[in-house]
Amino acid sequence: MKDNFRQSMKWFHTWVGLIVGWVLFFMFLTGSLGYFYQEITRWMEPERPFIEHNVSNEKLLDTAQIFLSKHAKSVDEFSIYLPNVRDQNLRVAWREPAEPGKKRGRRQSHIVDINTGDKVESRATGGGRLLYRMHYRLHYLSTKVSYWIVGFCSMLMLLAVITGVVIHKKIFTDFFTFRAKKGLLGWLDIHNVLSVIALPFHFMITYSGLLFFLFTYMALSTNLQISDDEYSELRKEIFPRTAQIESKNQAADMLDISTLYQQAKRTWKTDELLSVKVYAANDNNAQVRFVRHETDITYNPEDQVLVNAITGEIIPQIAKKYTVSGMIHNGFFSLHEGQFAGPIARWIYFFTGLIGTAMIASGLILWTTKRKPKQMKKPNGPDFGYRLVEQLNIGTIVGLPIAIATYFYANRLLPVDMAERSAWEANVMFISWAVLLIYPIFRPANKAWREQLQLAALAYMALPLVNILTTDKHLINSLIKQDWGLAAFDMTFLVIGCCFAFSAYKYKALQVNKKVRKPAIRHGSRQVTKQKNKQNEKDERENEGLLNLQQANKGNS
Amino acid sequence: MEFLVSYFINCFNFSSPRWAVFSRSLVAIFGGYALATSCSLFISQLLLNSVGKYQAIHIGLLFSFLVYACAAMWVFSVLNATKAWIDIIKANVFFAVATWLLMQFTGANS
Repeated sequence: MKDNFRQSMKWFHTWVGLIVGWVLFFMFLTGSLGYFYQEITRWMEPERPFIEHNVSNEKLLDTAQIFLSKHAKSVDEFSIYLPNVRDQNLRVAWREPAEPGKKRGRRQSHIVDINTGDKVESRATGGGRLLYRMHYRLHYLSTKVSYWIVGFCSMLMLLAVITGVVIHKKIFTDFFTFRAKKGLLGWLDIHNVLSVIALPFHFMITYSGLLFFLFTYMALSTNLQISDDEYSELRKEIFPRTAQIESKNQAADMLDISTLYQQAKRTWKTDELLSVKVYAANDNNAQVRFVRHETDITYNPEDQVLVNAITGEIIPQIAKKYTVSGMIHNGFFSLHEGQFAGPIARWIYFFTGLIGTAMIASGLILWTTKRKPKQMKKPNGPDFGYRLVEQLNIGTIVGLPIAIATYFYANRLLPVDMAERSAWEANVMFISWAVLLIYPIFRPANKAWREQLQLAALAYMALPLVNILTTDKHLINSLIKQDWGLAAFDMTFLVIGCCFAFSAYKYKALQVNKKVRKPAIRHGSRQVTKQKNKQNEKDERENEGLLNLQQANKGNS
Repeated sequence: MEFLVSYFINCFNFSSPRWAVFSRSLVAIFGGYALATSCSLFISQLLLNSVGKYQAIHIGLLFSFLVYACAAMWVFSVLNATKAWIDIIKANVFFAVATWLLMQFTGANS
């Protein structure tokens, strides 16, 4: 392509990153939010009660069981999720019997009010689940099409990560270089730091993202080698499941779940409990599984206790057997999803995800910054391509966060009894994104950046306020009730708003600075001009040294 | 074979740089995919007797994305698009033949 390998890879990195950069930005941002999808869903269902402190697990289990005996009498398999750090409400879930012609029945999930034992009716909302599903399933498109688009983009991301490493010989030195207020070089350094600081994460998240649909993307290979029956055996070997517990169709009386729980409590010697699953309920073969931690591949048999629900005896469990490659595969899944993460690890995941998002954003901005001086000199104004990239940058990098804020606004402001309400929440989000993508066409780039940054600041800072006006689950109440999950959510909005306000302020300050500096050079004494010129030359030389790796290579080889 | 390929490519006027990039993209996407597949077949035949059929296939697949990435990088680093086509086709043929040979050796029937 170019004269040498590294130079070709530099070209490749630029274009691979650019063509789907905005989709990747969308995937990274919604994916990062996914680490908090339960918390988001809880915020988006404000009818749910506040946290209840100091309720014993036994009482919670009794409440859930009474609820289930009222609402899910004929169901033979159900789960109880106890209040935890991520979701402070009591939740029960089961699957309805399958309708004829369908493989599985509808999944029902309800919040139970701990005090009254009643079902909590919440507004219809897509919640955090819809938001995080967008990062691999997009929206509006059919599942299959989305998977292939996402696969294509992820592949390009993987290429961008690998080529990004290849083109950086001095990856360690570059990491400690930051030339602020130098325009292009500043952006390059930011891009480098953001990339290197979380490089293992970027690689892991991209590669594991591809692994999720390994058998869809590489279907040709498996089709060439094995039949459909063998394929399902292969899947069973890679994703082993615990044996299905079948009912014997002999009715029997179960012990209370809270009584059975004593077995688990005695085994663990603590009163931690995350969830309970009941198999073959009210049958001779009934079993109850108590789980105290989300385990994933860090599978620890001690985190689960299986109890015979009729006799109350502990049933010894057989650990799942993974093949080596299956272990690697599932390990990547766990790392990607981070289900095992506690609060601190979850925040780290979230921030690393945001670093990835910022890395993509800085790369996109770098593309325009590099071409700006040349484009601005053109007699007919900048090229169409340049304008397009610039507008997409403004409309996505600042526009998408605003669009996500409108998703939350829609949740609070759309009428509660509206038809297709949850669909419209997402529609509102995409309509506002579209508007923000179109808006920069009619404004000069500088002003569009600044105005959208200001809008973003306003949108996020006003969210807690709207929350106060529309619901009783607002910041003040949640602080009084010490419901940190909800309170942290509103406070995060404020912090994000402040970040946007700060960048809007900074952006304005930089613009003003440039305007002031130019006349100073013009009217300054000759000597100053000379010095400036020298400085500029020096800058340019540095510039070349870093940007034209070709030259650097020639020097080295 | 190389002659045929270069003749075929010369039919289109690939002298324009845009066509060259387009041509390279085609090799990277489809040739790379073919290479990822043939390489995964090769790896699974190679490991067939030591780790069992299903795991061998799985390991082959786990490597496929990395092979795909390397192929794409290769395509965009060689001198011209014609060479990229030829190289990727060569590599594909190599893995196909090697897989076939291994199959004779391992006695796999698929």
